[in-house]
Amino acid sequence: MQTVFDDQIEIELRHVSKHFQLTEGRTLREFLPALFRGKGFSEPFYALRDVSFDIRRGETVGIIGRNGSGKSTTLKLIAGVTAPSTGDVYVAGRVSPLIELGAGFHPDLTGRENVHLNASILGMGSREIDRRFDDIVSFAELWDFIDTPVKRYSSGMYIRLAFAVAVHANPEILLVDEVLSVGDAFYQEKCVEKMHEFQRQGVTIVVVSHSLELVESFCERVIWMDHGRAVADGPAKAVVQRYNDTVSHHQQALV
Amino acid sequence: MSQNTVARRPSLSHRFGLFDVIPHLIAFFKRWDLLWHMTVRHLRGQYKQSVLGYAWAFVNPLSQMLILSFVFSTILRFSSEGEPYPVFLFVGLVPWIFFSGAVQSATDSVVGASSLVTKVYFPREILPTAAVLTKLVDLAFGLLILAGIMVYYGTPPELTTAWVPLIFAIHFIFALGLALPLAALNLFFHDVRFLVGVALNLWFYLTPVLYPADTIPDKYSFIFDINPNAIFIHAYRRVIIHGDDPGLERILAGLAISLVVFFVGYYAFKKLEPGFADRI
Repeated sequence: MQTVFDDQIEIELRHVSKHFQLTEGRTLREFLPALFRGKGFSEPFYALRDVSFDIRRGETVGIIGRNGSGKSTTLKLIAGVTAPSTGDVYVAGRVSPLIELGAGFHPDLTGRENVHLNASILGMGSREIDRRFDDIVSFAELWDFIDTPVKRYSSGMYIRLAFAVAVHANPEILLVDEVLSVGDAFYQEKCVEKMHEFQRQGVTIVVVSHSLELVESFCERVIWMDHGRAVADGPAKAVVQRYNDTVSHHQQALV
Repeated sequence: MSQNTVARRPSLSHRFGLFDVIPHLIAFFKRWDLLWHMTVRHLRGQYKQSVLGYAWAFVNPLSQMLILSFVFSTILRFSSEGEPYPVFLFVGLVPWIFFSGAVQSATDSVVGASSLVTKVYFPREILPTAAVLTKLVDLAFGLLILAGIMVYYGTPPELTTAWVPLIFAIHFIFALGLALPLAALNLFFHDVRFLVGVALNLWFYLTPVLYPADTIPDKYSFIFDINPNAIFIHAYRRVIIHGDDPGLERILAGLAISLVVFFVGYYAFKKLEPGFADRI
């Protein structure tokens, strides 16, 4: 284990592997026989294999790769919702995950109540929430519906409110998983504008997206993941270029 | 090793030692405002879509009280320590309903919040704790009914009722300590929630709720001695109905059992916590 840390490093993955058992095995009827036979349920599936990287304070890093390459697992490890099977993940700072916005919303509660609940989940104190409440609702443009249960909201309104809460949670690390690709053009523009504001403020941002265009224009650095490994890590333009070359190469091979 | 230059949050780790319990408990208490929001969320969700709303919190204990009183005082004629049977029954039944409701509801609490658990980190023990706290509302309604019954039968509570908050605090720790590992295990084996239902049902009959503790034959009195619910319910009856002290020796035993159950339960919960998101 290292003893000296660079305090500019905000996120650190050290030889991280993550594997899952694919079969369910959730009832005792399936579990007990497997236990007595003295073996696991199935071969483990590796979502991540020996991944190491550092992300420095204020960096904007994109993670690209095909479905199932380990992008979302990486975000979940940084968010702290799942643990590595081996290796270490260190995160310094308050993480605000924009992963599937509105996960914490309760359909029966009003917009106002959900703002308090969700902000609290993201680690804001009650006083902080009260102070930022007006900003949140203004950003979401939902003053007319703030006392309506969110189950009456359109999906656009729902996302707007969730996004507004997440960006006002005063994050030091922002994790973004595809959320920039939902909503209408106005909303997207607003989100991207907010992201740029965070970049200027020196917030560390990790973006997972299938939109190479977005990643290339928004991130300075890109990590390309394939089959659970980080196969390339470098300047956005160069890595996206390599990724595109490989994809087109692969397509030619298929023809 | 990792706290040298900057406070870092180490990732969720499967290496959770016994001494990690204290810092995690502190971190948990620091999130009391989230605990409050979660409890309100739970409460609002519970009766929201029903016409009668919170009235249901009355209907359940009231209906149980009526039918059990009828069966066990009119048909079976159980003894009730010289008190009107409904009063005797309800002093034990109200805390029992709290206990069993809390454990049952907390067992489902983490599974029920799957969309949250897979997205964002917060101390997961907030979920079962909020579920247990929610049942305090039902308990308050139960106490109102109990007060009504006591007025009706003209048997006001004794002064020693002042002991109740202390007994209940210990009872609460016991319920939460039991609920925590069950909530965690329920993620790994969905059988747990059914097992809990069966176990609570059996436990109800093995606890002197319907009958007085002194009717248990000596041969089986050990069941009563090691059953914390029996200790607490007996203590409630002593202080509320009989004007006695709660039986200090028994209460201390109950406290010791509750603390052990809580710490072991909390430890098991935190030990399993890193796997939660992978299990949903």
